[in-house]
Amino acid sequence: MALDVTAASPPQPRPHLPAQLVAGWEAGLLAFMALLYLAGVFINPAFFGSTDAVSAVLRDTARFGVMAVGMTFVIVNRDLDLSVGSTLGLTAVVFSILFGPTHLDLGAWPAALVCLGLGLGIGLLNGALVAVLRVPPFIATLTMLFIGRGLVLGLTGGKTIGYEAKARDYVFFAFGETNSIGFNNQILVFLVFAVVGAVVLAKTRAGYETYATGGNEQAAQYAGIATRGVRIRGFVLSSLCAAIAGLMNVAQDKGVTSQYGQGAELIVIAAVIVGGASIVGGRGRVVGACMGAALVVLIDKVLREGVPITRVIDVGGVKMEVAALAQLPPGAVPAFLGLILLAAVLIEPWVVRRNLLGRLKARLLGQEPPPALEVGGAAIVGVQTKGAVSEARGVGARGLRAFLHRRDAAAILLMAALWLTGLWLRPDFWGSLDNSFNLLLAFTEIGLLAVGLTFVIANGDIDLSVGSVLAFSGATAAFVMKEMGGDPGAAILLAFLAGTLCGVVNGWLTTRLGLPAFVATLGMFYIARGLAAWLVAGRQLSGFPESYNLIGRNLFELLNAMGMAPADGFALALARAVSVQTIFLAVVAIAAGIVLGAMPFGQKVYATGGNERAASYSGIDTARVRFLSLVFSAMCAAAAGVIYVAYYRSFNPAAGLLRELDAIASVIIGGGSIFGGYGTIIGSLAGAAVITLIRSLLSLQIILPDGSSFVMPQHWMNVFIGLILIAAVLGDIWFRQQDILGEWRRRWQARAQAKLSEAR
Amino acid sequence: MTTPIVEMRGIVKSFGAVHALKGVDLHLMPGEILGLVGDNSAGKSTLMKVLTGAYHRDAGEVLVNGAPTHFRSPHESRDVGIEMIYQDFALCGNMDVGQNIFLGRWPKRYGLFVDRPRMYEEARKVLDRLKVDVNSVFQKVESLSGGRQQSVAIARAISFEPQVIVFDEPTANLSVMATERLLETMAELKRQGVAQIIISHRLTDIFEVGDRIMVLKRGENVGDRYIRHTSEKEVLELIVSGTRETALTADEALQQAA
Repeated sequence: MALDVTAASPPQPRPHLPAQLVAGWEAGLLAFMALLYLAGVFINPAFFGSTDAVSAVLRDTARFGVMAVGMTFVIVNRDLDLSVGSTLGLTAVVFSILFGPTHLDLGAWPAALVCLGLGLGIGLLNGALVAVLRVPPFIATLTMLFIGRGLVLGLTGGKTIGYEAKARDYVFFAFGETNSIGFNNQILVFLVFAVVGAVVLAKTRAGYETYATGGNEQAAQYAGIATRGVRIRGFVLSSLCAAIAGLMNVAQDKGVTSQYGQGAELIVIAAVIVGGASIVGGRGRVVGACMGAALVVLIDKVLREGVPITRVIDVGGVKMEVAALAQLPPGAVPAFLGLILLAAVLIEPWVVRRNLLGRLKARLLGQEPPPALEVGGAAIVGVQTKGAVSEARGVGARGLRAFLHRRDAAAILLMAALWLTGLWLRPDFWGSLDNSFNLLLAFTEIGLLAVGLTFVIANGDIDLSVGSVLAFSGATAAFVMKEMGGDPGAAILLAFLAGTLCGVVNGWLTTRLGLPAFVATLGMFYIARGLAAWLVAGRQLSGFPESYNLIGRNLFELLNAMGMAPADGFALALARAVSVQTIFLAVVAIAAGIVLGAMPFGQKVYATGGNERAASYSGIDTARVRFLSLVFSAMCAAAAGVIYVAYYRSFNPAAGLLRELDAIASVIIGGGSIFGGYGTIIGSLAGAAVITLIRSLLSLQIILPDGSSFVMPQHWMNVFIGLILIAAVLGDIWFRQQDILGEWRRRWQARAQAKLSEAR
Repeated sequence: MTTPIVEMRGIVKSFGAVHALKGVDLHLMPGEILGLVGDNSAGKSTLMKVLTGAYHRDAGEVLVNGAPTHFRSPHESRDVGIEMIYQDFALCGNMDVGQNIFLGRWPKRYGLFVDRPRMYEEARKVLDRLKVDVNSVFQKVESLSGGRQQSVAIARAISFEPQVIVFDEPTANLSVMATERLLETMAELKRQGVAQIIISHRLTDIFEVGDRIMVLKRGENVGDRYIRHTSEKEVLELIVSGTRETALTADEALQQAA
């Protein structure tokens, strides 16, 4: 570490701790934490001045610290595990269902054992998806996050499970209690994990294998390290740690809600990165990660506890001073945590590696600046695309065969098949004008996001923040109209600008500061949603001018408001069936389709996604292409946010939640590649239609032959959407890109041949 | 005597404490094929990057057609007709042959749209001029073999109508058959008057098509010979134990031998 603060040239060389175990970084963290705590005491002495606060911070740190230990292995491996929060929630829920007297009423230890098995299973699944099936880690684990959340909702039905009374008879719950010495037993668990984890990573062969795999996987492979095993091991460790954190949580609370572990992945990842790990792998220490966990939890607490203030209120003409607490509204804290994550990710490549402080000092003193160690930042080298599908013209196919050669053919066929399925299930209802109208409406939001995302994904980047940007833009529109009394025009403009600004920040972080797009947009994912919640103070806003709401209505209402409504006949039916947002989507999609398919900018996008280096050699400003694509994606999301508010006539802070998943799945189903270089607007729209149709088929009321009807519970929807995304990505990687079926067939044939010749 | 198309005099380039080039001279006549050989870290690639403007020299002169130049990037050297073909070809696998040949400068129609018919027609012309067999300009580059991919890279280079092409280890990733085809292509380019510089470890290839061979060692010239009047053995000796004294110019070496 460059920030080594050990005493300058000690007189005698003495043995000191190896750098993997502890270094100057941790010393800096400790100092910063002490300062922060003092700041906490200063602004809120009532809370932070008490010893309760210390033990509360330590107790919460214990859970996140345990997860951070596991996550360190994953991040040093150059992977990422976004699923820890939902794994925590899922284990807590499964334990509660097994143990709870209102449910299965088992013993505590068997239930805990099942939960550990569950953690192991999730880890193996993550590991297999990433290491064996070669799904990018952030996609695989993000999907696991949503599937896990969906399962939590589905299993609990959104309700709380409690078992305070039964828990008294079980020793297991001592883990969550304060012991006789005066601190919580969770802290002991945490210490054990921290020490074991630190020693394993820094001192053992397994740890060295982890550093090697993260540093240069190919070199590690050549050296005989089973890197797949190492990566799977990392994911298993991380999931097991999350499962244990979940058990610690139920041991403490003796009950569970469906909110458990929400957003925990952000705190854990931020903790590991703040603790000195590099997001591009190969660097990181368990001790640092544990301290990072303490620091991030402390920040979280300081933000949540708020500042005591005196507010002057006017009661019947008498001014009174009332003690109050200036607090962040619910949901706003992630905005800060996201910022911390991004800042921490930037420290390593910019401050440490480029010796920013040293150069600043030299400049201030007027000296020759020391050379920067390495220019280039932290950009992850893209995976080269390989494909088995050749362009139809290349093989001289015409007509139907040419269509089937298109990468987006599957999505279009699937769309038709799904629509026909709907017609078969509910012939009375599916083809009706009402249903088609509703389908189109639901389609608009996903379609709009997918259009923007197509550019980003074809570029080889990803934008995880579209759903949050949608929420931020919607919140801005609602805020401007409701709190500032702005007119609809100003609201639309400001909302659009707010969303676009998110895109500019995404693009700037990605292209100028060299962050991988998934990290930059993951930060924005939390920041934009936190800001949205902050703007509306976590409430639902409604009651906007009706002229604004016209954006979300059908054409008839718009024309009616303008006093030129069609009287009757076909024009009336058409105006009632087509809504303003559908027309808007059509215009945006056609423009985007022309740009991507027929204009040089589109070619530049494909070239950048195919081989960024080759593209820049040939004079393409790839940074500009990637920047503009990220900005366009955010603009589409911003427009979707404006439409959302107009359509629902209100803004809910949960707007656009999970939409990034739908949009990414749409693009991938529609022929895009998660590694970049492919994707068309038509395909993405077809993909969006597939997602829309699946969603509405899943919520379709099916009338059974005996006359009764059946409808799937909405809580399970996210599980299905997550599974579909994983299936789409796997299908893309294994069938489109690698022609895996062909490879297996060839291998099998070769083996059969070998056996045949052996037999002779 | 004609002016050399490229002349480099006393090129010096250091990276911190490492002196990569210590006053190297190089000249290339129109239509000549020059082999550039030497051990690893001899400075071959650095010299070529100085020529194309990817690196900035510390001292020395680069003259193209007798005019001094100061390239700040490879795009500027391209403008005066110097092209480099990279070891890994620098192509986009997800795009087809035509799109790759016109990477970054796709022809336009109405000032807005990509003129596909013209692009494929021009691409076809370039490939014909090269006399290589790439089945179709519509084929995806990633579905082509290594040798064909290189043909596309070369086609891309000659579509700029260059005077000089620099090949960086052109045969390193090719099969024997593909190498044969590449050498034919080089001879064809020579017939069309394109001067070429080949960086290679494989002396055999250079001896097959080259006119002259230049040996670098630790950032210095240690030899310059006409292919016709030297042998692989002599060149190997120069690579291993050449000194400043053995450098000579190709003409001096010829006179001494006579």
